[in-house]
Amino acid sequence: MNISDKTLEKYMKVCVLYSGGKDSNLALLKAYNIFDVSCLVTLIPRSEKSYLFHYPNVDLVRLQAKALNIPIIIDECMDDEESSLNALYNVLSNAREKYDVKGVVTGAIKSTYQASRFQKICLDLDLWCFNPLWLRDEISLLREILKHRFEVIFTRVAGYPLKKSLLGRRIDDSIIRFFEEIKYYVNPSGEGGEYETFVLNMPLFRKKIKVIEYEIYGDNYDATLIIKRAELLNDSNNILL
Amino acid sequence: MILIISCCKISFSEEEFVRPIIDIIRNFGQKYCVRKYYENICFNKYEKIIISGTALMDSDYLNYIKNFEKLKDFEGKVLGICAGYQILARIYENILSKMEKIGVYRVKIIRKNPLIEEKEFYAYFLHRYALRNTNNNLEILAKQNGEICMFKVVSKDFYGLSFSPEVLNKYILENFARL
Repeated sequence: MNISDKTLEKYMKVCVLYSGGKDSNLALLKAYNIFDVSCLVTLIPRSEKSYLFHYPNVDLVRLQAKALNIPIIIDECMDDEESSLNALYNVLSNAREKYDVKGVVTGAIKSTYQASRFQKICLDLDLWCFNPLWLRDEISLLREILKHRFEVIFTRVAGYPLKKSLLGRRIDDSIIRFFEEIKYYVNPSGEGGEYETFVLNMPLFRKKIKVIEYEIYGDNYDATLIIKRAELLNDSNNILL
Repeated sequence: MILIISCCKISFSEEEFVRPIIDIIRNFGQKYCVRKYYENICFNKYEKIIISGTALMDSDYLNYIKNFEKLKDFEGKVLGICAGYQILARIYENILSKMEKIGVYRVKIIRKNPLIEEKEFYAYFLHRYALRNTNNNLEILAKQNGEICMFKVVSKDFYGLSFSPEVLNKYILENFARL
């Protein structure tokens, strides 16, 4: 007898590789509707030079996990590839042991560099690897996060024509039109580190995040917004929960 | 009409292994429909068939190889990708070797074929098994470091690819749709 897909998926425990940015939150939303999302997993790199992981404000994932009411496992890693991969192996192994997860969900879109490394580690750990955004058109992903009423701000820009003035600005229709105009020379998803984002609210947040204090460092076309203090508001306005 | 057969046991994997193929076929202006590997499908209703890949942890499609035996009587064109490559290799009595390959590798064309014009190209691989040798039912079209990564079934328009063309080589799917 063939076990129905829906039954299998409903009972499969998974973890989500979570950076706090728009892509991992969209991957989480998709997985949440299908699987039992048992925990989030975050690696905090030492600096923005990390090859594999998102950097600015990544320590605020604790607040996001609280807003989501999902347990989180956080570990730190050095910036080099070998250390990042070892740390990822260890943190996923920990998630498997602690929460009995059978699969990992990632927000990889087009990076074969990221995807192949995630696939290899999952295979070594006997874990299913799911990449629900894989090969999606980047502009359609930006539209999808708006459709789901994500509130997303820019926290880093790294290259022309992304100006420092984008920092703190929310992704909206005009930003998407801007990315559509420049898509032939800037990856609109920012997957190559062209920009980074932070999610303040999305449909699974029970409380939305308010930034109280922040600082901006750097020059035009290469700048970072660091959130110094943020808190959860009581009302997320999310009707899906 | 192109039939796309999903080899994914878990439907969520289709976002990764089936939806990208659908996007390419749809953007190319072709009509398509999607069925699952475990269904009893009447292949002759279709002009062309694409058999998708699936997750590395997924091998359930191998329990349904018998469903694909009747492909041998199909007169149309078939493209087997990863899991689909393995299915074609198996129904034509070839033995797969354990060969894990994950990532981007350079492929060398051995024999001219209508799907690829270049002599060498890069492709994205994601598999645990592949062919090192073939029997007389298959012609070798391309190799990657000893692995037969592309073959054609002798006297049929059936092609097997051990890599995922939807990632770096979309034109292969377009050329197949054009055949």
